[in-house]
Amino acid sequence: MNIITNKTSQLIYGSSFAVATLLLSSPSLAATDAQQPCIGNSAAITGPAAFSGQAIRTGAEIAIEEINQQGGVLGEELRLIQYDDAGAPPRAVDNTRRIALADNCIAILGGYHSTAAVAQVEPVHAIGIPYIGVWAANTSVVENGRDPNFMFRVSAKDKWVARFLVEEALKVSPTGKIAFFYENTGWGNGALPDVNAAMSEAGVALVAAETFNWNDQDMTPQVMRARDAGAEVVIVWALDREGNQLLRSMDRVGYMPTMIGAWGISGNLGELAGPLANGVRVMQTYSFMGQQSELGESVLARLKADYGIDDPREIRAGSGIANAYDAVHILADAIEIAGSYDWEAVRQALYEVNRDGLIASYRPAFDASDPERQDALLPEHYLLTAWHDGVLIPFAGSPYDTGD
Amino acid sequence: MSTIMQYILSGLAIGGIYALVALGFHIMWSSAKAVNFAHGDTLTIGALLTIMLLAAGLPLWLACLLAIAAGGVFGTLVERFAVRPFAAHSGSIGWMLATIAIGIMIESLATIETNGYSLPLPSPGVERAVRILGAGVYPQELLIPLVAVLATLGLKLIQRHTLVGRAMQAIAHDKQAASLMGINVNAVVALSFGLASLLGAAAGILIAPVVQASATMGVLLGLKGFAVAIIAGITSAPGVLVVGLLFGVIEKFVEGYISTAAREIVGFSLMILVLLIAPQGLFGKREVVKV
Repeated sequence: MNIITNKTSQLIYGSSFAVATLLLSSPSLAATDAQQPCIGNSAAITGPAAFSGQAIRTGAEIAIEEINQQGGVLGEELRLIQYDDAGAPPRAVDNTRRIALADNCIAILGGYHSTAAVAQVEPVHAIGIPYIGVWAANTSVVENGRDPNFMFRVSAKDKWVARFLVEEALKVSPTGKIAFFYENTGWGNGALPDVNAAMSEAGVALVAAETFNWNDQDMTPQVMRARDAGAEVVIVWALDREGNQLLRSMDRVGYMPTMIGAWGISGNLGELAGPLANGVRVMQTYSFMGQQSELGESVLARLKADYGIDDPREIRAGSGIANAYDAVHILADAIEIAGSYDWEAVRQALYEVNRDGLIASYRPAFDASDPERQDALLPEHYLLTAWHDGVLIPFAGSPYDTGD
Repeated sequence: MSTIMQYILSGLAIGGIYALVALGFHIMWSSAKAVNFAHGDTLTIGALLTIMLLAAGLPLWLACLLAIAAGGVFGTLVERFAVRPFAAHSGSIGWMLATIAIGIMIESLATIETNGYSLPLPSPGVERAVRILGAGVYPQELLIPLVAVLATLGLKLIQRHTLVGRAMQAIAHDKQAASLMGINVNAVVALSFGLASLLGAAAGILIAPVVQASATMGVLLGLKGFAVAIIAGITSAPGVLVVGLLFGVIEKFVEGYISTAAREIVGFSLMILVLLIAPQGLFGKREVVKV
């Protein structure tokens, strides 16, 4: 009975996916050979983080164009299929199945929202298709206790971000007078234990841990508590809007500690807070500002030629573009090593990829013997940037870099 | 001392916003015995339209004026197409669902337009904080409760001394009798929805420099504004003003002395408590129904 039900539901699912795919695909896509190898991406194309879907698409497309110019993968042209999850976990799960079962893609690229990525862990393993996260940084997405683990990532990991930010904070306040401000969401609450752990590793404790909600207009009570606790540095897990409210609340009470944030405040904080944002430090994985490598210059040239971005200052989500770019190249390398599009073979081959990427030199990209190394980017690859007159610039050599 | 002053000033600024939103609910309820639950979104309309018109090169005063006018048109349209068809049948709650649905549509549209980003509305009122008895506040924030007081007084004047205002009160008292006295009920109700939305759009522009304009800026404000109207007794404009300001200040003290997480718990518990003790609200008149 169960088998029949499962078969029937699979049939129903299968056919509805097929219909949905037909309906959603553009004519050119529908006409292409079903065998053409593809990478599927479930990301936020609408919703509050719609910019992220665009950035992932940009980075992935530039990489795919380069790969196809050099003959594609296993002699065939690679293509990208992108679906919208709007940050909603059920849609991300739905897209995961569609990419794997209807489109029969080789791998899945992840999106911006950690809640969506956490929800994808289960279907990814049930199906057994490799997944490479390029944005969502939640620790448990990749460190999920599965063996074999199909979740990989070319992005930051909150656990390491916390350590990175605490180290930077301790450079400013060697005595450890650090306060932590975090949004009251899965992302913010998930970071609290990471930050606490990083602090106790350094032998200090937070002088204040304050929370706030999305859309809060005023945070003076929290700011005053941090001030009265003597915090010299504030570590922030917030998005731009609340980051701005935090800065303005500090301005109201005349309290200006050093602010160091996870990358939620890397969007348009400089525009929202104006001069108040100057000097706010933000963790990134990559910046197209400042001195670029040869590879960086070539990606910039493509951004200019194909996406009309004339000035690197216009790039709002450089980390997302760079993560997606490197992830697609690593995946293409793995397909060549595997010599087939088989999901398990590609998963195994991901551990054998060695590549000099845009962000880092991946040698190797992933390590099968270390559960922490399903992440390709290590803390030493993280980059500290600072807001300066509306633009994020590398912190080193910035007007705020006093060598502390 | 400066801490208490800080909570009071910050609370008055937030409370002024609640009062302005609640005043809109009061205006609509007073004539139609129905409200526009997308009223919070008129704040979004006012703020985002102003920013878009500014970006299109219009001067600030004209952008504000057009955005406020658009808010008024929006309110009138909501009344015509989402409230009137349903409110005609007594006891119908279709207008609730219809106006909530419109609110969700506006939020979705605004998200598409803004890509989810918050946008700044530049104002000299938030360039530098001023100090009052050791507490810091932006001039724009001081303006908000002031405007709320002026709007309440202005509304009283309209209700007492103009034909339209009296017509609104007459309709609130008895629709049929008002209609028999030659008042065009539909026109006056539409006008009151337009007036409420004018006020809402203006409030959105007023607070945008402080809270930033975004697709979701009006959601919680709309809900809190409605809660304030209910606590105060939705039939009393001065009551709405006083409760709005007080609600904001209480919230700041809860945040300061208990925690931010406790804010909504305490706030909404207070609302339920007040309704249990005084079902008509703190300042509302008990509605006598003659059988």
